[in-house]
Amino acid sequence: MADALSADFVVVGSGIIGSLVARKLALAGASVIILEAGPRVTRGELVARFRNSPRRSDWMSPYPPAAWAPHPVYQPEPNNYLMQAGPYPYAAEYIRQVGGTTWHWAAHAWRNLPNDFRVKSLYDVGVDWPMTYEDLEPFYQEAEEIMGVSGAPNTGSPRKRPFPMEPVAEPYAMRRLRERLASDYQVVSNTTARNSRPYDGRPACCGNNSCQPICPIDAQYHGGLAAEAAEGAGARLLPNANVYKLEHEEKGRIAAALYYDPDKASHRVAGKTFIVAANGIESPRLLLVSASDKFPKGLANSSDMVGRNLMDHPSTSLTFDADEDVWLGRGPQSPSSINTMRDGAFRSQHSPYRLDFTNISRVDGATKSLIAAGIYGSELEKRLRFSAAREMNVKNVLEVLPDPEHRITLSSEKDAMGIPKPEAHYAIADYTRRGHERSQQDFRRIAELMGGTNLRFSKDGDFANNQHICGTLSMGSDPKTSVCDQWGRAHDHENLFLASTGVLPTSATCNSTENGLAVALRAVAHMLGQHNTSTAAGEAKT
Amino acid sequence: MNRLMPRLSSRVAVALALSAVAPVVTTPAFAGDADLIAAGKYIATASDCVACHTAPGGEIMAGGLAIETPIGPIMSTNITPSKENGIGKYTLQQFDTALRKGVRADGKHLYPAMPYTAYALLSDDDVAALYAYFMNGVTSVETRPAETRLPFPFNLRFSMAAWNLLFLDNGPFKSDAAHDGEWNRGAYLVRGPAHCGTCHTPRNLFMAEKISSEMSGGDVGLWHAPNITSDANSGVGGWSVEELVAYMRDGHAMGKSQAAGPMAEAVDNSLRFLTPGDLRAIAVYVKTVPPVHDTADTQPVFAWGSPSDDLAGVRGVALPLDRNSMTGPQLYDAYCATCHQAQGQGSFDGGLPSLLHNTALGRANTNNLVIVMLEGLHRQPGVLMPGFAKELSDTQIAALASYLIENFGNPAAKVTVGQVAELRAGPAKSALVTVARTVLALGALVVIGFVAWLLRRRKTTARTA
Repeated sequence: MADALSADFVVVGSGIIGSLVARKLALAGASVIILEAGPRVTRGELVARFRNSPRRSDWMSPYPPAAWAPHPVYQPEPNNYLMQAGPYPYAAEYIRQVGGTTWHWAAHAWRNLPNDFRVKSLYDVGVDWPMTYEDLEPFYQEAEEIMGVSGAPNTGSPRKRPFPMEPVAEPYAMRRLRERLASDYQVVSNTTARNSRPYDGRPACCGNNSCQPICPIDAQYHGGLAAEAAEGAGARLLPNANVYKLEHEEKGRIAAALYYDPDKASHRVAGKTFIVAANGIESPRLLLVSASDKFPKGLANSSDMVGRNLMDHPSTSLTFDADEDVWLGRGPQSPSSINTMRDGAFRSQHSPYRLDFTNISRVDGATKSLIAAGIYGSELEKRLRFSAAREMNVKNVLEVLPDPEHRITLSSEKDAMGIPKPEAHYAIADYTRRGHERSQQDFRRIAELMGGTNLRFSKDGDFANNQHICGTLSMGSDPKTSVCDQWGRAHDHENLFLASTGVLPTSATCNSTENGLAVALRAVAHMLGQHNTSTAAGEAKT
Repeated sequence: MNRLMPRLSSRVAVALALSAVAPVVTTPAFAGDADLIAAGKYIATASDCVACHTAPGGEIMAGGLAIETPIGPIMSTNITPSKENGIGKYTLQQFDTALRKGVRADGKHLYPAMPYTAYALLSDDDVAALYAYFMNGVTSVETRPAETRLPFPFNLRFSMAAWNLLFLDNGPFKSDAAHDGEWNRGAYLVRGPAHCGTCHTPRNLFMAEKISSEMSGGDVGLWHAPNITSDANSGVGGWSVEELVAYMRDGHAMGKSQAAGPMAEAVDNSLRFLTPGDLRAIAVYVKTVPPVHDTADTQPVFAWGSPSDDLAGVRGVALPLDRNSMTGPQLYDAYCATCHQAQGQGSFDGGLPSLLHNTALGRANTNNLVIVMLEGLHRQPGVLMPGFAKELSDTQIAALASYLIENFGNPAAKVTVGQVAELRAGPAKSALVTVARTVLALGALVVIGFVAWLLRRRKTTARTA
């Protein structure tokens, strides 16, 4: 091809982290190219597809995978893109489109707790992070001001400056939970990137209750906005550019990213520094498929840790009928939670967890189950009204510990472009199961306080996945046991950075996006320093 | 989301600014009186001085708002009490002359879109209060906006003397004994400080307000300031006083309309701060303005539309690959239905406005509808409809707007792709006929003014001779 693309920084992946890193680099004056495997999408077409979908609760339904850059979907039939080696399925959902997976999320933007950074020292489980909470604090704030985050002040993550806005008005059902649980639990607003007032040109949440699969009005921050901001700052974004190999020089510096366009024509993009920001599954996949004679195990993989230590937040749940009408579905989908079990000496024995209350309208789910039970006519209307008004659900969000045997590898099967598919090797450890068991008493007490009847615990042994992909690019101080350093720089390649939730070395008890984003924003100064150093060195040579 | 169009002043048709600098006489410090200053602040709010005399994000009353006009950009001036850069050296007399006669302290004429033809009606007491406020209640700002430099012949300020002879009535406002105090208070506010006619009254060839057509609708840049006469169909004859008050106070009235664009600014900066009594007085007066009827309005402009949807034609149909081929119902489903609801009915409390029974879709002039679709709607506190200029093409906006007015508005109204392109380009680049006409009118005005000035000068010379 006649392409002669090059830039100071080449970012692989246009999700929220890659795009906001690209934006920050571009604002610092660097030239930046973002390569995104999937196509551009607009909010309007996503909304149209959602409203037009017969599968309202399938949050992937507005996001059909591109043939040339597939992502996993499970309905109506699994497309078997993310292969499952077991023993427990890791049915992750993510989106390969401009903006990435935060097009659909509940916008949870939590900070870790200070102790989450030191679980090995404190509790002799997992690993310590190569940084402290205090190191990361300014970058949490930076992320929160970009995204427009609000939350309760008392969730255990100290802050030097206030949230940029107040929380969205508390939905009635959450108010009733807060009031009726007050004797035993403090129910607080979740920390979310959702506008409670017009912010950065985007409107306030008006309670459409479709945060997943799509906030129809951009009241919720998402990667599409981040990609737009990156382009606004001067980054060049190439959609439909599916990077299939990173090319390296003799000594290991990365020289170029090779990508296929949808017709499988190959293109080459040269750069001084490369940033892989293609999520916790596609990033290790790219490093592994870029294996060469010099790096037979794949790039950045002298430790053999690329793809290992796969973590997420499994959940079990309880559904029950309250003794009063609460009408879930008004306001955002996930407004409130209990944060008292996120840390404590018990972490040496079992998973800590957050207890999260859903506020998703029960209408779709209840309708389906009633019809499946053969209920029609006036009885359907009556039962549906009851379920819609009374049904409540609480779930745990359990920490998973790093285990090298839980991992993403390359499958023997290939995708439409001839690139090996990713394959998940996953299991639910006893540590996590014990956390689940501990949470059952909370479930029961919560139901009791709400006058709950018809208690329906999720099926024993079933753990729902939360798509918080961590660990597969773990950062650490020791190159033998980690993939990158605290700045995301690959131990094996001086000009290769990893910016992803994959670098998080433990999963803690909160959603990974803000943690991954803050770590990446913190690294930008070093990416720039690295670039300046190498430029200066290059100039000195010539 | 100031996306594409430059900020428009809320008070500008052919917008011109008070250019009061170079003071002649020093004035002693005004003896500040808290009540008088507060009264002055209220009248300044009612007069919406801040709209033109404050730049976006700038210091209050320090000027610097670049106002795009057909004859070039005009910079509003610093009217803070700075002695060097503002009006700090003005005497009460000089302040009064600028405000009510359109002549600044150095004797030069103001251009008449500094609405001194309206301010001429201000009472002596209100002028004194305003002076007290500007001298003592406004923070002095030591910045001087760039001078306005209009091309010849528009730079000839003295021609305005002739214009004033023709169009400047000698005030102040005189009560009409045929009406009660409330009506007279309303008439004073509407025609005086609040200068509603600056936008809502059409202008003649000389860009002066056509008094015979008071409040029958005018153009503000590319926006249309609608007919607010008492006509039942074209105007606000069908609105209750309470609805008019709600509109001015909250920016919206259920089942009638909501303020957008320059009117939203007027509500934000001015009207929402007026007392309930004054808002009521304005409403009472407006409802008595002689009706001006547009035969196109076969029913009240707020009365159009009934709930409907076209979901049956949309469901199960994939979006076309060429997004410009999306149908009106598909576009509505994608971009509007989430907030305005499936059948255009809005939310129960009007927080998300109904598209039915909404003047935005009931008028023959569809510019405002299109501009809101492009730029969104922004109002304090915290009202924001996002604009779709980035997301939707001209073709899509035209298709969507046509669908909206056919189903929820006056189906006789039209939106064309060319109109959307024109409105997207903004007033600076607009080649709308009205703009061309404005330029011509101003040219004529200057020439006529010049002649009138010569005649008058000759007369004066003859008399003194």
